[in-house]
Amino acid sequence: MRYPLSLDVNGLVFREEIEPHRTLLSLLRDELGLTGTKEGCDDSECGACMVLVDGRPVNSCSFLALQAGGRSIQTVEGLGVGGVLHPLQTAFLNEGGVQCGFCTPGMLMSAKALLDANPHPTEAQVKRHLGGNLCRCTGYAGIVRAVLSAAGDP
Amino acid sequence: RGDGLEKVTGQARYAADLLLPGMLEGRFLLAGRPHARITRIDASRAESLPGVVAVITQADVPQLRYGSAVKDRTLFADQVVRFEGEVVAAVAARSAETAAAAIELIDVSFEPLPPVTDPETALHPASPLVHPDWHSYSAYDGIVRNGNDCAYVTIAKGDAAAGFAAADHVIEERYTCDQSHPVPIEPHAVVAQWQGEKVTIWSTSQVPFAARSGVAETLQMPESNVRIVVPHLGGGFGGKCEFHFEAHVAALARKAGRPVRVVFTRHDEFVAPDKVNHPIVIDLRTGVTKEGLMTARSARIVMDTGAYASDAPSIAEIATMMAAGPYDIPNLDIVAHTVYTNKTPAGSVRAPSGPQVAWAVEQHTDEVGKRVGLDGYDIRIRNLLEDGDEGPTGQRMKAVGAKGCLEKAASLIDYKKTAESGEGVGLACAWWFSFPAASSVSLKVNTDGSATIVTGAQENGSGAVMGLALIVADELGIDPDRVSILYQDTDAGSWDMGSSGSQTTFNNGRALIAAAVKIRARLLSLAAETMEVSPDDLEIVEGVVRVRGVPATAVSVGDLASRAFGRGELLTAQGDAIVEPLPENFGASCSGRVVFPAFADPTFTCQAVRVAVDRDTGVVRVKELVAAHDFGRVLNPDGARGQVEGGVLHSIGMALTEGSVYREGRQVNPHLLDYKLQTAADAPSIRVDFIETSGATGPRGAKGVGEPPIIAAAGAVGNAITAAAGVRVRHLPMNAPRVWAALNLESEP
Repeated sequence: MRYPLSLDVNGLVFREEIEPHRTLLSLLRDELGLTGTKEGCDDSECGACMVLVDGRPVNSCSFLALQAGGRSIQTVEGLGVGGVLHPLQTAFLNEGGVQCGFCTPGMLMSAKALLDANPHPTEAQVKRHLGGNLCRCTGYAGIVRAVLSAAGDP
Repeated sequence: RGDGLEKVTGQARYAADLLLPGMLEGRFLLAGRPHARITRIDASRAESLPGVVAVITQADVPQLRYGSAVKDRTLFADQVVRFEGEVVAAVAARSAETAAAAIELIDVSFEPLPPVTDPETALHPASPLVHPDWHSYSAYDGIVRNGNDCAYVTIAKGDAAAGFAAADHVIEERYTCDQSHPVPIEPHAVVAQWQGEKVTIWSTSQVPFAARSGVAETLQMPESNVRIVVPHLGGGFGGKCEFHFEAHVAALARKAGRPVRVVFTRHDEFVAPDKVNHPIVIDLRTGVTKEGLMTARSARIVMDTGAYASDAPSIAEIATMMAAGPYDIPNLDIVAHTVYTNKTPAGSVRAPSGPQVAWAVEQHTDEVGKRVGLDGYDIRIRNLLEDGDEGPTGQRMKAVGAKGCLEKAASLIDYKKTAESGEGVGLACAWWFSFPAASSVSLKVNTDGSATIVTGAQENGSGAVMGLALIVADELGIDPDRVSILYQDTDAGSWDMGSSGSQTTFNNGRALIAAAVKIRARLLSLAAETMEVSPDDLEIVEGVVRVRGVPATAVSVGDLASRAFGRGELLTAQGDAIVEPLPENFGASCSGRVVFPAFADPTFTCQAVRVAVDRDTGVVRVKELVAAHDFGRVLNPDGARGQVEGGVLHSIGMALTEGSVYREGRQVNPHLLDYKLQTAADAPSIRVDFIETSGATGPRGAKGVGEPPIIAAAGAVGNAITAAAGVRVRHLPMNAPRVWAALNLESEP
């Protein structure tokens, strides 16, 4: 049995029908073809699937698709506008925040939620905020540098 | 980095992102028990579930054993399962949900067999055998096997008994390490599609050519009919080394007549790949004079290698070298056993055996120093290897930066300064090898002056392949942004060992320089002809060839390529790495030394940490880390720094939180909630410095970079805990309960 929902993803409105057990991650990846958002643990432990729901960071693997009805979702694909990179994207590239790239989409969305709420965080605040996003490549050093650098970017 | 833009915009495609017309979703049935005989498999209920297209078992694939060191396993379980993650069957269905439901409908009758879980017991002649037919398995030449010991390796140097007799003190200790895991954030994923007799497999492999060989061997087809493509790889850390699940999915797709995709769950990622860090028990005994010179060491290393040998026999060779450590010890008697048990098989995780053995040896080194009144710096500075020393297996050391690393790290962390209350500083040294291997690359200069590299090399995220653009840019004077790279496709590039052994830049970099040198010479010759000057007077800068000192007299690389093209010549070249032989060594006086009779172009490091220990809870926090590395000449400092920053945090995770808990032969924490990686909130400040040495055989004097950063930090954390809390924790990971127990109990509970 599928149920209808409508939601806004990166500024586009989609009307879908989906089974009640399907996750927001599955809706984004399998129905809408937005594969930038990754699945690393299917258990809300790694943060690779993090997206913004009405501006708040959410592990989309543990959020039902139907719960997203009527809401506004932002994914990594919507981060740059009109071919212009978001300052966080530029900073991740410049500061060594990207290696394998698998945690990067979730990390970027988590960092965006932080900077939207707190444009000038301290290093400790950045580290605490990113505590739900696992990275195995960088030791977080380049990522933290990148977020701090983006925060300093007017 | 060349792949950066697509990675920050979500455009980068990984194996699990691929979607092919008609593609089915596949799923594996794992054994779920450590040791059992299969008496019956009945898939009829699964096959009749609507939406199921194919179910396969060992009966559907050629009946043969494979394995890189010992041919001891089959694709699917053959009558017996030997660990919980062994693949019993696979299903392809219209949806992932249907595939998961079908797995539950496969009826398998298991007759339990007693699991072998303790490697020490497994070495006893009366122990049940994990592989009763082990003697009939083929294996590589030179391996020494006996019962559950699938590889026995030794180092015998000098006269250990005489060395101990000459010592004023002998220090003897035992260290124990739990199993830990590589944990790439991307789980394994494989997509297979047949077209006629040919199969294309998109896989999360670090080693596409080894994967190709594995498919060809197990499905009995020519390698030329197997194409492995790795889209972007979401990290590996060794967990995606060797041939894994490509043939399972290919066989499933063949039976289904449709493309099939299998994406691992995190649980399966923990239990099924034959690549975990060995649980190791290591007994160390070291003789030292009252002046602090080490005279002899004996060591016995028991490596719990799990159900199948995988590439572990060569890792036992490495472990013995790590037990000697980067020290000039004249007399050695070191043995390692690689022991089958009914656990997830161990293999080449980043710097295999390095972090565990160095963790033991470096704490032991501090204990040796303490016995003769020397701190961690003073005991090491007296014993570290120098140029001209004889290594553990007889190689004559050169380009040794060991003492430079120690001095740098000790200075950066202010080792001699008294720490604040509750805090402690510790350091650890280590060595590792570079890995010479065949490698080849094609380079093309396009008529607009841009260039394209075609290579078999594999990018795991470290940036090693992306860094190849810098080598071309350097050699041909063109902007690295104008260099494209076609990589990780076995039908495109030549054979390459892949992302393992820290070898990409070391070997593929040399091959690329060889190719670029040829094209550079051709460009200079064409320019000289055009400008009517001698090639010796020319330089290539910013995309133009110009006369030295007369920048106005210039012609662009693109113009030269166009002119060559106009007269029927393409500016292309093939380059090959020249593989130097390993350093001379003792050879046959040591047993089982096949892959690593010596260490080629060894790298050295010293890492130091400052930790705080909470005596009430046993929680340890690493507050500061410094890492000094001798990578020979550092070709890509930003890339090397990134490798160190990531490696040291992985090592801290191994030190403090990462360990599998086994109960009745099964992992009880195969998920990220109870198997804890370090988070951003845990990460210390990290400072990295390089001690450059010259004389290594890598490109422009470089040594391998990828693996060494993970080796030393765990031991440094151990020494820092002792400095802070006055107790020594001899069980890895040194998690809070163990630290607390060391502080409060007479023995570990």
